[in-house]
Amino acid sequence: MMLHGGQYHVYYSRSKTTHIIATNLPNAKIKELKGEKVIRPEWIVESIKAGRLLSCIPYQLYSKPSNMQKGLNFNPACKAEESVPGPSSVAKQLNNRVNHIIKKVETENEVKVNGVNSWNEEDANNFSFTELEQIFPGRKQNGIPHHRDSAAIFNGHTPSSNGALKTQDCLVPLGHSVASRLSPDFTQEEEQAEKSRTDFRDCVVQQSPQSTRNTDAMRNPHRTNSFSLSSLHSNTKINGAHYSAVQGPSSTKSTSSVPTLSKAAPSVPSKPSDCNFISDFYSRSRLHHISMWKCELTEFVNTLQRQSSGIFPGREKLKKMKTGRSALVVTDTGNMSVLSSPRHQSCIMHVDMDCFFVSVGIRNRPDLKGKPVAVTSNRGTGRAPLRPGANPQLEWQYYQNKVLKGRAAEIPDASLWENQDSAQANGIDSVLSKAEIASCSYEARQVGIRNGMFFGQAKQLCPSLQAVPYDFHAYKEVARTMYETLASYTHSIEAVSCDEALVDITEILAETRLTPDEFANAVRMEIKDQTKCAASVGIGSNILLARMATRKAKPDGQYHLKPEEVDDFIRGQLVSNLPGVGRSMESKLTALGIKTCGDLQYMTMAKLQKEFGPKTGQMLYRFCRGLDDRPVRTEKERKSISAEINYGIRFTQPKEAEAFLLNLSEEIQRRLEAAGVKGKRLTLKVMVRKPGAPVETAKFGGHGICDNVARTVTLDQATDSAKIIGKAALNMFHTMKLNISDMRGVGIQVNQLVPTNPNPSACPSRPSVPSGHFPGGSHSVLDLFQVQKAKKSTEEEHEEVFLAAMDLEISPASRNCTFLPPFSTHLTSSVNPVTSKAESSGKWNGLHSPISLKSRLNLSIEVPSPSQLDQSVLEALPPDLREQVEQACAVQQGELHGDKKKEPVNGCNTGILPQPVGTVLLQIPEPQESNSDTGINVIALPAFSQVDPEVFAALPAELQKELKAAYDQRQRQGENAAHQQPAAAAVPKNLFRQLKPASVKEKKRNKKKNPISPPKKIQSPLKNKLLNSPVKTLPGACGSPQKLIDGFLKHESPASEKPLGELSASTSGVPGLSGSQPEPAGCGRPPAPNLAGAVEFSDVKTLLKEWITTISDPMEEDILQVVKYCTDLIEEKDLEKLDLVIKYMKRLMQQSVESVWNMAFDFILDNVQVVLQQTYGSTLKVT
Amino acid sequence: MTTLTRQDLNFGQVVADVLCEFLEVAVHLILYVREVYPVGIFQKRKKYNVPVQMSCHPELNQYIQDTLHCVKPLLEKGGGGGVWVTRFWSRGFLFLQNDVEKVVVVILDKEHRPVEKFVFEITQPPLLSISSDSLLSHVEQLLRAFILKISVCDAVLDHNPPGCTFTVLVHTREAATRNMEKIQVIKDFPWILADEQDVHMHDPRLIPLKTMTSDILKMQLYVEERAHKSS
Repeated sequence: MMLHGGQYHVYYSRSKTTHIIATNLPNAKIKELKGEKVIRPEWIVESIKAGRLLSCIPYQLYSKPSNMQKGLNFNPACKAEESVPGPSSVAKQLNNRVNHIIKKVETENEVKVNGVNSWNEEDANNFSFTELEQIFPGRKQNGIPHHRDSAAIFNGHTPSSNGALKTQDCLVPLGHSVASRLSPDFTQEEEQAEKSRTDFRDCVVQQSPQSTRNTDAMRNPHRTNSFSLSSLHSNTKINGAHYSAVQGPSSTKSTSSVPTLSKAAPSVPSKPSDCNFISDFYSRSRLHHISMWKCELTEFVNTLQRQSSGIFPGREKLKKMKTGRSALVVTDTGNMSVLSSPRHQSCIMHVDMDCFFVSVGIRNRPDLKGKPVAVTSNRGTGRAPLRPGANPQLEWQYYQNKVLKGRAAEIPDASLWENQDSAQANGIDSVLSKAEIASCSYEARQVGIRNGMFFGQAKQLCPSLQAVPYDFHAYKEVARTMYETLASYTHSIEAVSCDEALVDITEILAETRLTPDEFANAVRMEIKDQTKCAASVGIGSNILLARMATRKAKPDGQYHLKPEEVDDFIRGQLVSNLPGVGRSMESKLTALGIKTCGDLQYMTMAKLQKEFGPKTGQMLYRFCRGLDDRPVRTEKERKSISAEINYGIRFTQPKEAEAFLLNLSEEIQRRLEAAGVKGKRLTLKVMVRKPGAPVETAKFGGHGICDNVARTVTLDQATDSAKIIGKAALNMFHTMKLNISDMRGVGIQVNQLVPTNPNPSACPSRPSVPSGHFPGGSHSVLDLFQVQKAKKSTEEEHEEVFLAAMDLEISPASRNCTFLPPFSTHLTSSVNPVTSKAESSGKWNGLHSPISLKSRLNLSIEVPSPSQLDQSVLEALPPDLREQVEQACAVQQGELHGDKKKEPVNGCNTGILPQPVGTVLLQIPEPQESNSDTGINVIALPAFSQVDPEVFAALPAELQKELKAAYDQRQRQGENAAHQQPAAAAVPKNLFRQLKPASVKEKKRNKKKNPISPPKKIQSPLKNKLLNSPVKTLPGACGSPQKLIDGFLKHESPASEKPLGELSASTSGVPGLSGSQPEPAGCGRPPAPNLAGAVEFSDVKTLLKEWITTISDPMEEDILQVVKYCTDLIEEKDLEKLDLVIKYMKRLMQQSVESVWNMAFDFILDNVQVVLQQTYGSTLKVT
Repeated sequence: MTTLTRQDLNFGQVVADVLCEFLEVAVHLILYVREVYPVGIFQKRKKYNVPVQMSCHPELNQYIQDTLHCVKPLLEKGGGGGVWVTRFWSRGFLFLQNDVEKVVVVILDKEHRPVEKFVFEITQPPLLSISSDSLLSHVEQLLRAFILKISVCDAVLDHNPPGCTFTVLVHTREAATRNMEKIQVIKDFPWILADEQDVHMHDPRLIPLKTMTSDILKMQLYVEERAHKSS
């Protein structure tokens, strides 16, 4: 052993000893050595025999002798059975494993976790191996709920990764893995079962991070659960396992007893409605981790800088090394001065770990070195069963189109693919795994595997590809070590990402008189030493060149791009190597015939700027010449903070989505707090299944083909409160009016960040206002205004605060009749700058979201919501003013929501789907307000649960009463809405009771609906059909006026297909012109009000006519649908069309022989009038 | 090939110009059609390629022009927004996309109670751009339809009692009142808060006249009519 480089320690040392060799150990020792590698002696012997270091995993000794015995005994048994596929052997393994777990659980004496408890009970019968097959079904049934239990419990534990909870954490996964043994994977192929069992044992016993790596055949996703034992943040992996559990249940689903379980398994983890979903999601999202690490590391560097003493141990060491060397080699000095000449100009070093995830993953797995390895969440063969409804080819085709054509591709014809599917389905019922490869080793890259590739695909390319699971903890550790190493030399470090850093080494080189290469070598050695991972280093005179040099240096090398080489070097580089040149830009450049930077150099700046925009053009122009003047930025300002989740989003109820949004807001709050900033602008992004895309995505839980919908709103004050963010997000969400089940991703982004510490300058100016200006209890605007004027002089610099205050004062003012325009003249002057500011920011936002612009303009001059008010400012105010502020604030809060929600109603909505959630128009007359004859327009109050009871209590009594009334009314309407129809159907409902459901007719009607609806809905919002459609309709709609006039006057042409509007227009002797009536559908918004898909008036008419003439007793549901349509029209402010529809129906229905139709019309009209009365304060004149 | 969007400075102006022009024509026509002033003071003109009636009474014209003049600067700001709960009513004639939701021509009877209200409800279309309609010919067509509707609205409205007068109200949002100074381009032409009695109409009936949706403007015109005009 010594001969082969091993060491023998007589006394055990926790820090030095890496492996413990033993054949048997007493229980006390085992407990003591928990977490250490205890290996059987065969490992050494066989390693020597093999001539290399073998993985110690198969030679692991168990810490529990009894377990070990059994485990060892089963080893051969399983091997023997390997060739005998069938449940029996699986059962044995299962048992075996279960035994381990029980033992483990028992010995730990930690059985307080429910889930585990239940497992104990169950496992009692697991010892009877022979009965296993019979036991299976029963256990399975038990297994599902318990499985869930344990998952749930586990979720509860996710945040706790500290030692105190470790035992529990360990226990739960144990139970979990027991559960998992029962679920689909016990049908897996035998050899994998064997392997996995080994792994499983390893993990259970070892609890050391080393055990996390695993051999290829990790088909069984639940095994990761056991891995989690070993790592502190086990949640990551547990969750990962959930995914793969669903993703890759074994393809051999022959055993009949499985289906229930395999069905149950997917439902366990990824329920977005679960309150822990978000934290779960983030704990297992590698992208999230990567970005978090980057922030952390940047922060780390910043902290180092702040605490910097100016002494860098690494640098000192280097200096010593250097002096030692130069003392030895005196003659070198001449050479040295030449070499060190570049140190006068800046010198940037780019350090990049080589395939970071992989090298970290295999750093303790010598047996995997030099093999193709990929880090991914998937294990096994990379195949998963095709879930019904999923259409991977379709999606693939879609993405291909998108990439190739560089535009939003049409969804390919699904039927085309269905044929192929069915052809395929005969043979294989599985598809390639869609787990992404996060990182792959250079060996894997050689065979064409790339990062981001789907694992299944990669596995086809390279069958020997080994999968290594994520180990976020280790990544973080290694990244930290790397940064610490770098920081020992200098603090001028820019954290590019967790495995990548830019270092300005100009100073170091000058100080240590080292050449860049020497320094790079020293750094690399040290990093390798510390982290056991290889790092590549590129050195250049600027960031760009350093990065490019690193490309050349990889793998595990270094490259110093000397100034004289730059020109040649850069000319040979592919443009795609330039930072900032992505796929789309590359294809653009290729179209221009540009491949290398040399080609690019022939382009003029003007040309480039024309092609790519001023900034990008300039960047390209400079980059292709190797010019880059970006400094190494050690401190980066965050521009936005966001939380987005587009995995596993499948809501079934609006409630879930809302709860999810609130949770997401909390996540945002955490992040904002962590970053120490507040944000002003909120963007809600939602991914919605593209119409026509398959409901089931190719990747389980993935988002599939989606449309992105976004809404932005600017709050009047920067905030980091989850409550405010959540409210705003919910409001935006409601304006989208999405189909909940089609949501595939949700994200909230906060922009316009400002540091959290409140602006102190706002406070002093407040008390400076003499309180004498506030006549006690006066609500007069005049008084207020005088005060305002006085304040103005002192407060100009605190525009925003001032403005807020002004708003506060105006709100009460608006309740007074004394408000006169002349005052506004003064007010305006100070408002203007802000308004214009708001506007400019609106411009910045672009056309993208008109609503956001609007709301910004409003909100920016609104009273901040109470929670946003600076309490100190408030307290500094004189009492009476404070009272007013509070009051106004309370009022304002109500208004704020009404205001925001009103937008869609206002006709600005772009997101009304045919199934709106049921926002109902409400209007409460408010008699005491002098200025509102039509009353307060409480279009959409905030949900009652959102109303702050304190604020509510602070409201004036009348307001309270009104709000209550409004909520009552809303509740009533809400109930109706819950039954799909908003209208106040309560009174006339009995009218329809007698109507028997004519299901056949209903079907017929539905049939009619269907062909009309889909094409209308899919209209792209950007396509502007407005111009064309009415022009086209113009000539046709003219008709023959005389005939129509006759028809109109006589009122006896019920079958007339001409719209009434034309008739009335014609009667007045102006034929044809009304034909240019604009159709709301024409404006191109998908959710135009429609009647069963019919948007154009002629379609609506046809539909109505068919309905009325063919059916003798109308369905209540259909009537309500018509009412709904009319209500939508009112909301859409398309009264003209409403009028036409009503008149048309009146004509048809009142002439119908069935009296039912007359009643139906009355009912519809009543409802419409009610809504109209609420919206416009008047009712439709029906002639 | 410039594409005008809401970001362009002159875009707001374009919309403002179009709207002001239209509203001027519309007000004259309403006054004519509803016989608020003697037919004698009106002249036949051509606008939007259709015949319209315009008053030639200098003071009346001045009044209408002044109001429009005050409106324009605000319109140019562009933008838009939700609806404020509180509304202000101002005599005179004003609208701005940003702050105004309704421009109302009110016809009052002798007792200064409103008998008819011509409500121009102005909102912004979801996508604001005139790129596809750079000559605004489509908008013109739509506006023409409005004019024609106004000119025939007497067919659907009851006769007004004799001795009517008129006023113009603007429903603004609260924020707009603070911008009033800016609106007050012309001295001695201030906005005042409308009286309750100017505004409130007893038992109104709604008669939709026309709705338009164009790239730059979304507007609907309806008439609110007192049920019993003579009373």
